[in-house]
Amino acid sequence: MDYGLLTFASTYGAIYAQKLLEPVTAVRVMPVLREISLGCGMALRFPPEDLEGVRQALAGSELKPGDYAFYAISGSGSALRAEPL
Amino acid sequence: MSQIIDARGKACPTPVLMAKGAIAQGAQAFTILVDNTTAVENLKRLAGNQGFAAAVREEEGGTFALDFTRGEGCVSCEEAVNSPLPPPGADWAVFVGRDIIGEGDRELGTNLMRMFFYTLTQSEDKPGAVLFMNAGVRLPTLDEQVAEHLKALSDAGVEIQVCGTCLNFYGLTEQLKVGMVSNMYDIVTRMQKAAKVISL
Repeated sequence: MDYGLLTFASTYGAIYAQKLLEPVTAVRVMPVLREISLGCGMALRFPPEDLEGVRQALAGSELKPGDYAFYAISGSGSALRAEPL
Repeated sequence: MSQIIDARGKACPTPVLMAKGAIAQGAQAFTILVDNTTAVENLKRLAGNQGFAAAVREEEGGTFALDFTRGEGCVSCEEAVNSPLPPPGADWAVFVGRDIIGEGDRELGTNLMRMFFYTLTQSEDKPGAVLFMNAGVRLPTLDEQVAEHLKALSDAGVEIQVCGTCLNFYGLTEQLKVGMVSNMYDIVTRMQKAAKVISL
């Protein structure tokens, strides 16, 4: 995994999680990868080593498990792989 | 003895205009005095564009003296000064005059701007230049995520030009993280050279 990616059911959820995670990890906002969804969406990218901290922060938040999804991203271009976690 | 132009105490773009005036009058060598580093950078770029060499001397009291000397045997310099602008090139430029994308919610607009620059870093077709003015200068200074993306673009050869007047107005000159302090002349020239300019 090159980086972890979080996608959200709503943009509100993404902005809420961004604020929540800023003290936890070097979170970066990016568009949802086309490989995951063709819809327009906001995703959060974070370093792979912070996965557990991100999971814990979200578990104790207002967001429900169905409001977000984790992906492990590796490679780029045509070799890009996005696997649900 | 060569001409001395005193542009101390003059704000951007006056020192550049004064130097341009001397060049237009056919000066082959002159010295221009300024008192800020933005003017020094702008004048160095002017020298490069106009076929002059500019040696910078730092003097007492925060004064910088730039010795302009016309490059020897430079046939194309006259052409560069007098010829019309080159036809638009093949590349494109992005003009950023604000710190959010679109009207509406600031938080959403801030994140859309970050996503825009992230997407540019991932794209094969990168712009030749990104030009920042007015509140747009908050991005290469205050927004760490956008600054990070701009560094990646700069490393890939994209010119990042940031309006010096605007940085000064917002008190952000010292906080510029990426790109060069630029002026209206260079920004307009860069727009004219681009095949298309996308404004955000």
